Amino acid sequence: MVDQPAVEVAGLYVSYGSTPVLVDVALTVPVGAGVCVTGENGIGKSTLLRCVASLQRPDRGRIRVFGNSPGSTPEFWRAVVTTAEPPTWYPGLTVREHGELVCRAHGLDPDEAGLDEALERFGLATHVDAVPPSMSSGQKQRLTLALSLLRPSSLLILDEPEQRLDPEGRASVAGMLNDYVKNGGTILMASHDSVFAEASGTEITPMESLGVTRRAEPKDAAE
Amino acid sequence: MTAVEQVAIDVGAIRRWVRRTQSSHRERGATAGNIYFAVLFVAIVGGMLHKQLAVVFWPAQPNASELAGVSLVLVGLGSLFLAMRRLGPLGLSRPAASWLLTAPVSRRRLLTPSLRLAALAAAIAGALFGLAIVGHVATRPMPRTVAALLPAVGALVGVVMLLIALAAQAGRGWSSWGDNVAGLLLAGGLAGFVVDSAVDAPRASGSWSATVVGAVAIGLAAVVAGLMAVAAGRLADTPNERILEASKTVGTLLDSAFGVEPSFVTEMVERRYWARRRLRSMRLWTRVPVLVGQDLLLVRRRPRRLVWLAGAVALPALLAHAPAWTIGVAILLGGMVAGATSTATVRTDAGNPVLLRMLGLSPRQAIAQRMWVPGILAGLWSAAALALLRALGDLPAGPWWALGLTLGPVGAVAAVRKARVGFVRNELLPLDTPMGTLSPGPALNSVIGPDALLLGLPALVQIAQGHPLSWTTVLVQALVGAIGARTYVNLGAARTG
Repeated sequence: MVDQPAVEVAGLYVSYGSTPVLVDVALTVPVGAGVCVTGENGIGKSTLLRCVASLQRPDRGRIRVFGNSPGSTPEFWRAVVTTAEPPTWYPGLTVREHGELVCRAHGLDPDEAGLDEALERFGLATHVDAVPPSMSSGQKQRLTLALSLLRPSSLLILDEPEQRLDPEGRASVAGMLNDYVKNGGTILMASHDSVFAEASGTEITPMESLGVTRRAEPKDAAE
Repeated sequence: MTAVEQVAIDVGAIRRWVRRTQSSHRERGATAGNIYFAVLFVAIVGGMLHKQLAVVFWPAQPNASELAGVSLVLVGLGSLFLAMRRLGPLGLSRPAASWLLTAPVSRRRLLTPSLRLAALAAAIAGALFGLAIVGHVATRPMPRTVAALLPAVGALVGVVMLLIALAAQAGRGWSSWGDNVAGLLLAGGLAGFVVDSAVDAPRASGSWSATVVGAVAIGLAAVVAGLMAVAAGRLADTPNERILEASKTVGTLLDSAFGVEPSFVTEMVERRYWARRRLRSMRLWTRVPVLVGQDLLLVRRRPRRLVWLAGAVALPALLAHAPAWTIGVAILLGGMVAGATSTATVRTDAGNPVLLRMLGLSPRQAIAQRMWVPGILAGLWSAAALALLRALGDLPAGPWWALGLTLGPVGAVAAVRKARVGFVRNELLPLDTPMGTLSPGPALNSVIGPDALLLGLPALVQIAQGHPLSWTTVLVQALVGAIGARTYVNLGAARTG
């Protein structure tokens, strides 16, 4: 697996209705590297991430994640974590129970996986018994990131992870992402914050440099 | 962090854990209480409606022609397929799509419960259709084996439709083609009903042989078993984005049902429709007021709706043998539905008037302009429907097409009023009734709009009486409609302020 790039995209075409968004886009992310794609609103950053995460089917193009087509195998989801699709929380489950769910779904013991420490690191220690929909948008973002980093993975696909975080939160999340890359993990993310991207240990890659991209519909056009 | 153990995860165990944890937070006995109330509800409603249901599915004597039977088969196939395609048919709850679809679990095990549920629902729907078709069409007495086997054949056909819908969900190229065929089947079935009501189609003669029906059932069962095995094997290949889409649909339907707020579903359907369309910016037609131009552009962009509307002109003829007043009600309701094909813009403005404010029109101007296109559609539809009824001999002599045109303003007021009603008001005081507590919000919302059809009372009385139509009635209806529409515009403008 190591001799394959973590992410390899070639000749990717995506359009919404009559609006082409990604035209002949190519991107390679080696294993253990961090890449942060940047660009103006609607240039197709989220669309690219969703395609790599297999949550959206491109019109044309080749995508390989660790050498295989992205998609429905347990192996793919064992290696990949994504926040490209905002999560829906289980009604009636608390913050900690969502953490336990993620651990169980990956065959981990919550205590051994460090669930409580992870929640504490993300400033959620006082909210373990809250139900996620009742928390602020920033806290929900922290929880999403805490759960993403809690489970084992080899590739993080993050869509604007700094969004809705306060300055302290941004710095701390950037530090954790930096550690993830240093420990051999791969990150593909989209962001508007170059300081955050650099602190996360990712290399800034403008969307324009990946091929011809056109202005797209707003992000939720994918829905 | 990157060292990932290859352990087999049991998705069933995770689901059970989620259910157990969720119910541990509920009050003791809450789950049992919910089941008790559900069973009680089914028992009470079943007790109240069993006679009516028996008439629908198994009348005392077969009362429909063979043509009607074939039409019912077509309508059943088309509507079942389209309903399943809209719902997925394979889906997950939204939280499961977030947390289990993206977990390293067996995709086949994750989706199997959904497949089972869909197969059960399809089989029940198919069996009910089968029962109704046999009950209305087949000659009696019929051998018991045949009576028992036909609903089973219906259930198997339902599962076959599910399997085709599953393949359409997983595939890409031919899925819209399949939807078109199902739409044609539905339209063909409805056309068959109309023809059946106009001509005296022959009844079924002779009973079906048990051997033939048995052979068909066995053959179908073998086909279903084979295809089901293939479908189960290919479950894992269902693309992620299709499952996500289905989970959003089901989630929105549930939100809509729990909140008694149908606008969630309407909004989702609109958004998806336009997201897939290829559009090219055009200039609005400048000879008409700006909002009329906008409505005309949108009507032009949905030509298929106009085709359905044109086809639906024939539907009131189905009521030829029912009491005359039902035809009148069908015409008025049909006019409202025809008008409502172009009121999506009104619904948008009612939900969030920011864009409307930006146009700088007075509320009076806005409402008056928004009523033009619904009025034209409602008038033309009613005129065509009444003219057809007259041509088929279901109405006495008279200028019925002119009466239809005068119903334009009536349909427009009803459609626009319905579209402007906005969200269901759930803050209204609940009413205590012997059947339990009733929230008046949804009931109020369903009445606002159709209540304006009272403006069509002169036409309704005329149709119900069955006398020849005079120009005086046309004039009276025209005056009532025009005064009603004008009053609505004035009142509506005062209300929005």
